[in-house]
Amino acid sequence: MTNRESNPEPTNPLGIDGIEFIEYATSQPQALGSVLQSMGFVPVARHRSREVMLYRQGPMNLIVNAHPDALPGMRAPTATPELKAIALRVRDAGFAWRRSLDLGAWEMPTRASAMELNIPGIHGAGDSLFYFVDRYEDFSIYDVDFVPLPGTAQRPPAIAGMHYFGVVQAILEERTHDWLDFYGSLFGFSVLPQGKKYGVLPKGTLLESPCHKFYLQLIEPPPGAEDIQWDEALVRVGLGAPDVKAATKALAERGVVFIDRGSVQPSEKGALTQVYLGGVTFELVKSQLQP
Amino acid sequence: MNLENFGMDTITLAGPLEARLRAARAAGFTQIMLSARDLVEHPGGEAAAVAAVRESGLRVTGFQVLRDFEGLSGHLHAYKLDIAKAMLGLCHDLGSKLLLACSSSSAHAGGDPALLARDLSKLATLAVPLGVRVAYEALSWGKHVNEFTQAWDVVMRADRANLGLALDSFHMLATKTALDELDLVDPEKIFLVQLADFMWQELPSREERINTARHFRVFPGEGVHGEEVAELVRRLDRMGYRGDYSFEVFNDDYTQLPAPIAAGRARQAVKWLTDRVSRRSLPVRKDRPWAQRSG
Repeated sequence: MTNRESNPEPTNPLGIDGIEFIEYATSQPQALGSVLQSMGFVPVARHRSREVMLYRQGPMNLIVNAHPDALPGMRAPTATPELKAIALRVRDAGFAWRRSLDLGAWEMPTRASAMELNIPGIHGAGDSLFYFVDRYEDFSIYDVDFVPLPGTAQRPPAIAGMHYFGVVQAILEERTHDWLDFYGSLFGFSVLPQGKKYGVLPKGTLLESPCHKFYLQLIEPPPGAEDIQWDEALVRVGLGAPDVKAATKALAERGVVFIDRGSVQPSEKGALTQVYLGGVTFELVKSQLQP
Repeated sequence: MNLENFGMDTITLAGPLEARLRAARAAGFTQIMLSARDLVEHPGGEAAAVAAVRESGLRVTGFQVLRDFEGLSGHLHAYKLDIAKAMLGLCHDLGSKLLLACSSSSAHAGGDPALLARDLSKLATLAVPLGVRVAYEALSWGKHVNEFTQAWDVVMRADRANLGLALDSFHMLATKTALDELDLVDPEKIFLVQLADFMWQELPSREERINTARHFRVFPGEGVHGEEVAELVRRLDRMGYRGDYSFEVFNDDYTQLPAPIAAGRARQAVKWLTDRVSRRSLPVRKDRPWAQRSG
């Protein structure tokens, strides 16, 4: 047994460096693809062995997984797209994975086929996963597992400077502190002081990544929501934009519909799209984050 | 404080799971503490056991018991980790929001509080995605942690929102830990209180504690430490504890009698206790006979 000194941990123990990709699972990838394209994402590559498509927009990679066993150990994708995974850029994926297991994360079964990359991962809320990716600078994971679509620019620019701002996670009542401890101990996330808000949905608790490049927002059920079906899951992607009004306008011109009533009307702080395909929404948030 | 605050434990009751659930329900209880054995020994399998619990309408107080988890290293730790994951999985499948983990009595377990806290933090992290809270209890024959004061120290060191303390009056009486020590405990971090008494004045040895704990506990009001059990409940109530009280009564006589007999004695124990503790949450009765007479 090795001796352990009780020195403080570094503030970013995994060397988290932003989001490498976000993954949806759905049995109807064309329908989700068309929503994503209206949001400015472009299909750029297809997986070598699975029904998986890579979309890009500026710095954002987004994966749509329609493979019947889309995510290891999970049920098959449903028609309603579900936000299933966040891939974190880390210093050393193997280290990140082992450290997470040492601290009490649940291991995700491996699923790589021959000659495919094995991306290590752990379980998150509900059916969701976190992957650890350390090849994102000189060499990308997509070079191995994906075939570029012919005649497609591989680096489509972002509309209105959009970038990943964060992901919203629904949690059950009185579970905020449990999840704060989970993300704090495993990944080094820290909670933003109450009152520091972003966007048009000023509720929930915001957690900042130790690299200061993205956020997780935890949302307990609103009061009086006893009759609503509310499970723990990743529910929404937040897209940052330096000028939300310009981004809203550009997306509206592409056919994206924003909620324009009540407390979530588009403003310079943020905007919320309508619900697509029974469960997909995007939130725009004013942000100068540099991915 | 009323009947809603108290629950039975399946370990007190004889017979098939369905009969035990029925007996608890028929005695007026609304919650029940379950053991892993209730699930895995059910002739219809775990799913049938879970269905029986759901159909009973009883709320699950908690699920027990993870033993000897903390303080191990190497392959022993790896083994216990697998056991803990399986227990958490059962707990989640059952719809229980609480897993009881009792302090290690393993001769192989280390006792460094920092090490124990690290292991319990790990258990708490494993429990988060499953929506489970972990209640850590000091067994009176635990190797390093055998009083609630030590368990509280480890819980504080671990500092996890979903890790708290389980108090068991049997173990507290066996070790004669002063109730004043409860003043140092945050009532919000007490996740479960288990109540039982016993028939002997003292349990000085480890063997006596184990033997009595496993075979001859009795309900509050039936043993010789009744006033101390009542005082414990009074103090917890005053401190602001509003969680569940579960009768943790292992008794070889009760498990060879029909379940309704033991459930009836549990019901008497509720009355015995509530008669001695303030009736804070009892609604005012409007059908008082003397009121009618005077009217």
